[in-house]
Amino acid sequence: MTITPQTAKVGDIIEPLEFGPISRKTLALYAGASGDHNPIHIDLDFARNAGFDDVFAHGMLSMAQLGRLVTNWAGQENIRALSTRFTAITPVGAVVKCSGTVTETLSQNGETLLRLKLAAHIDTDTQTLKGEALVATGE
Amino acid sequence: MGIFDRTTKGHITPAIEVTLERGALAFFAQTIGETNPIYFDPAAAQAAGHSDIMAPATYAVVLGTLADQQAQRQGQPDLLTLINGDLTVLLHGSEAYEYHGAIFANDTVTVQTEILDFNDAKGGKLEIAHVATRITHPTRGLLVSATRAIIHQLG
Repeated sequence: MTITPQTAKVGDIIEPLEFGPISRKTLALYAGASGDHNPIHIDLDFARNAGFDDVFAHGMLSMAQLGRLVTNWAGQENIRALSTRFTAITPVGAVVKCSGTVTETLSQNGETLLRLKLAAHIDTDTQTLKGEALVATGE
Repeated sequence: MGIFDRTTKGHITPAIEVTLERGALAFFAQTIGETNPIYFDPAAAQAAGHSDIMAPATYAVVLGTLADQQAQRQGQPDLLTLINGDLTVLLHGSEAYEYHGAIFANDTVTVQTEILDFNDAKGGKLEIAHVATRITHPTRGLLVSATRAIIHQLG
């Protein structure tokens, strides 16, 4: 049975989401679409001069996937908060695997909310984002 | 020794008006892999009861960037210039949003950023700037508040 915000219980895992593999083209498009022209993500010469072997993905491109994970499940109108820490760099070629678990039910401003623990991993050992969201159940 | 200009703590940037363009919003949605048409198809958005296509959950960061670009065009420093950010050692530490209302294409919103604080971490290997951005609409009020930690990796 599909879990919805109305039926979810603490410990439930929501439908996961994958994005990638992230190509240089993806990074170029994200730079243009987001206005984030930081050359560390798109200019190999700049990245090497800064001491990196290669360019790496915008953290916000992965956070956008956490956003999709939550809004796909709960609807944009029900998301109250979304936050993340960026815990590792996402290299070119990575596949970003996003997951979410319901950790708490709470009341805030007269609404019933679910707290979700969110994660993005690029392999089993490397977690790139450690996040959280609050979604309204509509009750 | 840090790089950030810590004398900017408490500074609030001038309010900048940004109009969300439909094409730019759809391009962003498709770049992040969005498959729900309310984010890129005006007909689908209107069928769902919205005035126009909707901004995805992380679009607030883009509005901050667009406001920065607008500030530069008006001869004002952008945020990173203001705090003396150094792109060769800069990392994004964290990003957090509180949502109060949805944002749609053709909305004109006001974007304003406050430099909250600076601190050191890991024995001085990291220095961190904390900033907050508020996105407000003239009639619908505060839509999104965002906080961000920007890190210089010094060690």
